Formats: sequence, C-alpha cells, structure tokens
Amino acid sequence: MSVLQKLNDYRYVVPKSFRPGMKIEGLIYADEELIKQIEKDQTLDQVANVATLPGLVGRSLAMPDAHQGYGFPIGGVAAADMEKGIISAGGVGFDINCGVRVLSSDYHIDQVQPNIDQLLNQMFRDIPCGTGKSGLVDLSFEQLDEVLENGAHWAVKNGYGSYEDLHHIEETGKIPNADPGMVSARAKKRGRNQLGTLGSGNHFAEVQYVSEIFDDNAAKVFGLWQNQIVVMIHSGSRGLGHQVCTDYLEIMQEAMPQYGISIVDRQLACVPIKSQEGQSYLKAMAAAANFAFANRQMMSHWTRQAFARVIGNGNLKLVYDVCHNIAKEEVHIVDGSRKKVLVHRKGATRAYPKHRPEIPQDYFEIGQPVLIPGSMGTCSYVLVGTEKAMEETFGSSCHGAGRAMSRTAAKKSTTAEQLIQQLKEKGIHVRGASRSGLTEEKPDAYKDVSLVVEVVHQAGIARKVAKMIPIGVIKG
Amino acid sequence: MDERFRILEHPADVGIEAYGETLQELFENSAVGLISIIAGSSKIESGHRLHVSIESTDIENLLVRWLSEILYLSDAEQFIFARADFEKISQTLLKGFVFGERYDPAKHQLQMSVKAVTYHQLKVRRQGTWSATVFLDV
Repeated sequence: MSVLQKLNDYRYVVPKSFRPGMKIEGLIYADEELIKQIEKDQTLDQVANVATLPGLVGRSLAMPDAHQGYGFPIGGVAAADMEKGIISAGGVGFDINCGVRVLSSDYHIDQVQPNIDQLLNQMFRDIPCGTGKSGLVDLSFEQLDEVLENGAHWAVKNGYGSYEDLHHIEETGKIPNADPGMVSARAKKRGRNQLGTLGSGNHFAEVQYVSEIFDDNAAKVFGLWQNQIVVMIHSGSRGLGHQVCTDYLEIMQEAMPQYGISIVDRQLACVPIKSQEGQSYLKAMAAAANFAFANRQMMSHWTRQAFARVIGNGNLKLVYDVCHNIAKEEVHIVDGSRKKVLVHRKGATRAYPKHRPEIPQDYFEIGQPVLIPGSMGTCSYVLVGTEKAMEETFGSSCHGAGRAMSRTAAKKSTTAEQLIQQLKEKGIHVRGASRSGLTEEKPDAYKDVSLVVEVVHQAGIARKVAKMIPIGVIKG
Repeated sequence: MDERFRILEHPADVGIEAYGETLQELFENSAVGLISIIAGSSKIESGHRLHVSIESTDIENLLVRWLSEILYLSDAEQFIFARADFEKISQTLLKGFVFGERYDPAKHQLQMSVKAVTYHQLKVRRQGTWSATVFLDV
C-alpha cells in the first residue's frame, strides 16, 4: 500500500494506489501537526472509500478539521457529475443542514459583560435546549409541511425575525425543491415537537466578542468591529433530519443493486442522482434543511428578545447563516469546462468568493462569510470565501475544530464543576442542560480551531476576517 | 451470560458491544445498551406494551433497523424501552412486543440525544454465543 504524498506545506494527496477501487485521488488540507492527528483515526481510509464511489469528479477532499465519521469523513467534500454521478445520504450525514449563524449587535463588550449572567439566564430560559426538550411551538402536521417547504421564510412570516434576515442566509433560508411528501411520517413525528430547539451534543448558542480583525475591509462590510458583541448559534434539523437520513440510507441500500452499484462501506449507500430514489432524497433533504433554517431563525428571535429585555435593544443583525451538512447542485469548473455537479459537504462550509450570484448583494464585492465555530470556551472565526476555493475545493472550506477526544475520555478527565470553574476563570460563563453534556464538549476534546483556520487561510481556500472569543455559552 | 453490553469509545461518537446466549437476548441487550446511553441509569418500568415487526436483508441490517425503531420510539413517541418479548426472530425478520414506559422528566434523567444508528464497523458474530458491535451518531 502506498502512503500519503505531501504535495506542499498544506496539502497531502491520497493517491489512487492507496486502496483498490479508487476512481479519483484524495486530497487532505493539513499541516504537519494536523495530518498527524488525521492519521490517527480512519479519516484516510474514509477519504479513499469516498473516492471509490461512481461518477465523482475532481478529488475526494478532506478539510483540516477532518476526523473519522460514518462512511464519509467529517470534514469531507465530494462532487458528483449530475448526469453520471451519485447522491449519498451518508455523504450529507444524519444532521442535515447542521449549520451556524452569527448575529452582530450594536454593543461593545463593556456594555454587555456586567450583565452576562442575566443575559445567559434569559437566553437559557427562552431557548429550549437539551435532550428530550420540546419546542415552544405546537405545530400541526400541515403547519410542519409549511416549515419544510419554506424554511426560514416560514419563520419570518410567523413573526420570527425580519425579511432582511433572509438575504443573509445560504439559499435565503429556503431550498426551493423541498417536498414534504418525500419526508416520512416517522421523520415528521420525530421532529414536530423539536422545531425551535437547540438540541444537545456539540450544539450551542454563544455570546462572543470580536477580539481581532484580520481584514478591515471585509469586517466592515460584514458589520464587524473590534470588541463588538456578537452571537453565534450552532444547531441543525434535529430528529426530523436524523430520521430522513436513516430512512433514505435504507431506501438507497435496497435500491443500489438495481443500479449495479456496489460499495465498500454500507454507510456510503448511494443511488444515481437522476434515479427516482435519488430525486426523492434530494427533495426530502431540502425539506429537512429548511427545517434547520427555520430552527436557527426562531432561536435568533428569542436571542434578540433576551437582548432587548436584559441589555437594552435586540437589534441583532444577521451576518450570515451557513450549512455544514448538505448536498447542492452547483456549477464548477471541472477539467477546464463549466459543469453542473452535486457537491456533498459533510462537515464543510460553502466558501464562495466575490462576484458570485449566490451571495448577498451587500457582500457581492467581498465574498461570502464563512463561519467557523470553535469548541466550547475557545475562539471562533469569520472568514471569507476565495477564488482558490472555487478552483480547488468546489467552493468549500472547513467547518469547525473537529473532535480529537472520545466523549467517554472527555467525561473521565474532568467534572462539570471543574470545567465550569475553569471556564469562569477565563471569563466564560456557562449554562448547560446536562452536566455530562458539558464535560463531553470540553475545549480540549477538540482540535485547536486556530490551527485549523490557519491551514485554511494559508492554503487560500478561505481568508481570515475576524476572531471572536466567547463570554457566555449555552449548551444543550 | 452476566454482562449484557459494553459501551465503546469512538473519537466523535459512541458504540455498543452487546452479548447474548440467543439472538433474542442479543437484540434485547443491544436495545438496553442503547437506552442506557439515552437515559443513563434511570429505572425503566415495563408497564406499556407496543408491537413491532421488522424485516431486513440480513442480520446486520436487522440489528440497525431494530435499534433505529427503539430510537424512534424514544424520540418520537416518548416510549422508553425496558425489555422485549419476541414471537419470532430470524436473520431477516423480527416480530414481537416491546415493553417500557412513557418518558417522565420527573423520573427519567435523559443523558444524551442519539441521532441515529449507523453501519460503521457494524458486526454481528456467533461464536458459541452471540455478540454485536454497533456505533451510534450522537
């Protein structure tokens, strides 16, 4: 078996000789430190396994925050030819449109810090979070279908935020080909009571301040300034999305033989994009993605209310909202010509440069904000998309820090009380629905987000704009 | 068999290794393992009963579908599994009753949301007795 080939300081190639059946090469963005971490688990094998799928173009990519996932690595990107390629439910993942948004405030850190405890208490009261927690909205199945069709547009129409917000959401918060009819009754039942809930695991809402500006012009256009208070919300499509993926993994596995597809890992189950099953999945996935957009929109509304009540005004502007787990039909240059491809982003962020029609008008001359949450208690970043990302990664970049320690190991190494105290000493106040949930998400259970972002920046697949440090965290 | 299951580590997620003298025991113990991850050491009564019927292509697929059903019942129906009574179980078919109780926040401490049951490193083995390995996305 041939080994990984170092292409330059930030790129490692997984050659086709790495394992039999690879139809394309793999490419991993990492420096010497991160590649060592990536080599520790099954990420390389998974990058290679993805490369065996039919109809992929370019390379099977892994971002610097990549770690072992299911089928696809987390941090994986793969583009399929629209005519001959496949769609893989596992290539999007269970938490469809898990994503993140950043809201900017009018406030300087000094105006918020004295009241951070009260603000967190209010947010913790108003945003349902944690395992088994139901949402505040009682939806009929007909109303749920409207959410699935219209995403954040439904939320705004029902009083959660403003129409202005929609311009600053990927796909304007509504993927158009969503069809609630392709979402099973079971998925709807699982998600119906979870709209407007944060969830648990790595999902959070954080009050942060801008600690460093790297690109004055881009920061200005995004409305970010030194010491400004911002809010970051990280959540997804909850049980509804999880069940959509579960359902379609089974449907795809059953359908594969009729299309003559064989795979090396059952979690990679896939069908041709043009097949009836592939089209149904894409419509169901879009519906689940819309649920997630509405979910984050509603939580933003409650955050604004909490700010209005505790701090003074709830004038939080949505900087942007990006998907981390999604498959989208996009046009990219492949082998020198424009081609329609289906880009799977499994734990990766779209990172479009300036002058792309898909990005908001007010960001047209700068590029799309790329939002990178760190782990609890560490920093987060806003970056901007680049031309290089269009050339190399189908307009994609990293999505976060990437886990480095198992949950059990994290829980064993510290208690919730110790962790809360350590964070408090760093000026970070925490509210958590579950004590074990908190320790599982301790900062050093993750890779160093700054290292991940630095690799992305140096490799040129996104550019640093601003760094944020949390002063308050709400965990599910 | 004394040990019913063991929790396995995974960098991002969590797994179950379950054991059983029989296939019935293996499936029941896998589900008990799943519920222990979701509800910790909460005591689960078995006063409620639901019928389940699952078909599959093979034994591993059957295990994923079975655990996905238990997960669905807990997430969507707030039904927490305690034990099973199978009328029929083969490599590709499972029929029977599950017993458990409705989720009660005053009584049950939910520990972790499980997103899904995966095919990652999935294995069902028989060497005298049965054992199975399955990973969950959490």
